[in-house]
Amino acid sequence: MRGALAALALLCLMGAAPAPPPIARYPTALATDLGATKLVVESDADSAISGVQIFVAAGLDRESASNNGIAALVAECVIRTPVNGMPLRDAIAAAGGSLTYTVDGRSVHYYLEARSEHLAALVDPVAQALANPDFSVPTIAAGRASLIARQTEFESNPLSVGIQMFRRSYYATGAGQPALGNSATLAQLSSRDLGAFYRANYKRRAVLSSVVGSVTPELSDGLKRLAGGLADGPVAPVQERARPIPASAPRIVAHRDVSAPWVVVGFAAPAPSSRDFGAMLVLETLLSGAFERNSTTTLGFLERSIGAFYLYDSTPASLVVYVNGSQVDPSLALRELLLVSRSLSQRPLGADTLRHFKAAAQGQFLADSVNLSDRAYLLGAFSSQGLGDDSINSALDALQRTTAADVQRVAKAYLQRYIVALVLPRQTPGQ
Amino acid sequence: MSSLTRLRAGLLGAVLVIAASPGSAATGDLPELGPNVTVGRLPAGGGTFIVRPVAGAPLAAIELWYRAPSTGFGPKPEPALARLAAQVVAASKPIVGDPLGKAVSDAGGRLGITVYSDSIAISAIVPATAARKIVKTLTTAYFAPVFTDDGYRAAQRDVSQESQISAFDPETVVRDTIFAQLFASGPQHFPSLGDPKDVLQISSADAKAFATRAFRSQNAILVVSGAVEPGVADAAVGGRPEDSDAAPEPPASPEIAADAESVTKNFAEQVGGYGWIGPGISSASEATAMDFIADYLFRSDDGYVTRRVSDKFPDALLLGQFITLHDPGVMFVVYSSKGDTSNLRRLIDDGFAAIQKPLEPAAFAAALEAFKYHLLTDLQTPTQMADNFGWYSVEGAAEYAPGVKGERGLYFQAADALTPDFVASVAQKYFAKAPVVVTLRPSPPPQKGKP
Repeated sequence: MRGALAALALLCLMGAAPAPPPIARYPTALATDLGATKLVVESDADSAISGVQIFVAAGLDRESASNNGIAALVAECVIRTPVNGMPLRDAIAAAGGSLTYTVDGRSVHYYLEARSEHLAALVDPVAQALANPDFSVPTIAAGRASLIARQTEFESNPLSVGIQMFRRSYYATGAGQPALGNSATLAQLSSRDLGAFYRANYKRRAVLSSVVGSVTPELSDGLKRLAGGLADGPVAPVQERARPIPASAPRIVAHRDVSAPWVVVGFAAPAPSSRDFGAMLVLETLLSGAFERNSTTTLGFLERSIGAFYLYDSTPASLVVYVNGSQVDPSLALRELLLVSRSLSQRPLGADTLRHFKAAAQGQFLADSVNLSDRAYLLGAFSSQGLGDDSINSALDALQRTTAADVQRVAKAYLQRYIVALVLPRQTPGQ
Repeated sequence: MSSLTRLRAGLLGAVLVIAASPGSAATGDLPELGPNVTVGRLPAGGGTFIVRPVAGAPLAAIELWYRAPSTGFGPKPEPALARLAAQVVAASKPIVGDPLGKAVSDAGGRLGITVYSDSIAISAIVPATAARKIVKTLTTAYFAPVFTDDGYRAAQRDVSQESQISAFDPETVVRDTIFAQLFASGPQHFPSLGDPKDVLQISSADAKAFATRAFRSQNAILVVSGAVEPGVADAAVGGRPEDSDAAPEPPASPEIAADAESVTKNFAEQVGGYGWIGPGISSASEATAMDFIADYLFRSDDGYVTRRVSDKFPDALLLGQFITLHDPGVMFVVYSSKGDTSNLRRLIDDGFAAIQKPLEPAAFAAALEAFKYHLLTDLQTPTQMADNFGWYSVEGAAEYAPGVKGERGLYFQAADALTPDFVASVAQKYFAKAPVVVTLRPSPPPQKGKP
């Protein structure tokens, strides 16, 4: 660990700049105005499979503390809505496709994937369910049971717990609440509650779609009909707000059935549309890799002692750095992390170091954005956050433009205040 | 288990080999893999290269596959030998340039080494702009391997840690134990990663001897996929002149245990598993049917058994796979849940019993459609595509890889030929006999007052 700090300090002083790495590019994405809704497309020639993310601005930031989980429960009901005699999700699977959903801070996004020639035909059943979801008691009960099971699984993961603790402390809005809700609030949500949330948020102007793969006119028409099936009307604005992180570095503690402590350090972070975005991608990679033990082969998640995630699914964004206490002394790791964060704000990276971490950040970004689902998600999420139509390439451009001065400035602006979430083993039963 | 390894495991569970010819890296005709795939010989009489450009993310998956027993070529099996030897090569600094691991890292890429019983894959995932450079560096490193003391020490450290972590992975432990029971000898009898003690006992000389024989250019299959030019394999280097007459390695000949016994082992938690011998690579239709069965029963989220288990045991671990090997293949399942697992086991048994009866036509048609979609969706990234070609090529059956010729290839023809009756008959044939059962359970706490 100390070696890592010393090495980083040395690297900061290194000199001459070699040639910048060549720029990797995704296929250029284009947007189509479908009237009340928008479609963003990244075409892959001859793609056997295509996928579409259907974003609805009905995410966590539209929940309150008392109805936490309602965004996910509405989505559960949508995918369970009977279509052609069977639940939507099963109907899609039987037709040779898949349908999933994810709730994040700004949206719930449904991901539909199928063979390219079949995708357009599968949009219509999804549109039917979205236009007329089943909020009957049995369907809600099934959705609730699924969410509680997943929430239980989530609670058994110390990293998830630590990140959620930080989010709850950081966000002043629903974005800080658990995406899947909790058993207490889920138990109280009724058909009437779900209907009200649906009517308030599932509007045609709240929909954006992004496709990766092969796009046909039939698919565009289907997505236009999907949005058109929802009610018209304005989309209510939401507050996207975080609490200022105090200089006192607050600590939050939770106990779980874990064998070793986990530490999650959370920082504020710039939005993707910010000029600081590229620099924060570099910092994410730098903090994730600077402390890790050297290994010739790339370490898998279970082998890593420290990692970092730049969370830009919510607004404002955040950066979390985690320490796996089963691999490394968490106190020492935390101290080193904070020393490096301070060091980064005090002096610029050397040219070689910057080049290395920009290349690493680019590689990380590409590796995280390779399958159709992730690419379609980024395309829509970045586009809706102001990165333009060709938004994934815009993100790569931001990374490419990043200078050592940018990294120093962003480290100074964002890494000096933080919240520490500690997930500790239970000492006594029931603690 | 690394994410890369898990990815491969998932792939193996969903794919099929229809037919095979033994060891084909540097001999015989080149496979015919369709208009989108470039196939050729590596320089100077080396093995085969396969390049499959894929539009999309600007990444390249560059993989070197070798047929080689994980326990070495000698009469005395050395578990982890192949894994350690491959790591030493990647960690050793050549006379000119950087070690492979550093070159990949500097390009912003990831390097992985995955060892199976009778094959090994070295994989680099890099930005496509670095593809040619890494093809050259990778082939230079392995075709004329350099061993340094520093590289050997670093590799011992890395591989023993990987082995240590895999010892806590229930899937790996159950699978290795099932294989150890099903196979009386050969590399399949031993865990391919060994344990940390095995790693530390391997001498540098043994590792070097293994690398020199196994990693020859003549024994190599280079696979490149992603946003690359068809000519990217031109960057590969030739092998050592002294190897020019050497033939590729033949597949291992495992001995199936006559009376495979069930076994109980200590582990951190209660885990169960069981498995059967299945059809080999040459039994095309049957292997296809077994892949279909694994997908139908155990596909994550929507398999027949998976759904029933998740309804009643939401916290359960469940994994079922058919692993297509040269001969024979293996079907196995791993499960665990808090508390008594007997009811969970019963749901899995019910699934294996149900598939021994023909499915209703409508249900079968939907399952087959889903199966074919799953095959395609599991081939959507450069790594998945390269793994697919690499695995089937090293088994001598490249033309039968699911990614060949899209849905018009031989794999999909075999899938289209499946019928409810045939699938049920294959299930009856292989699942009728008692499986090898593995039980992992925590060791009882020591009694007070006793050492």
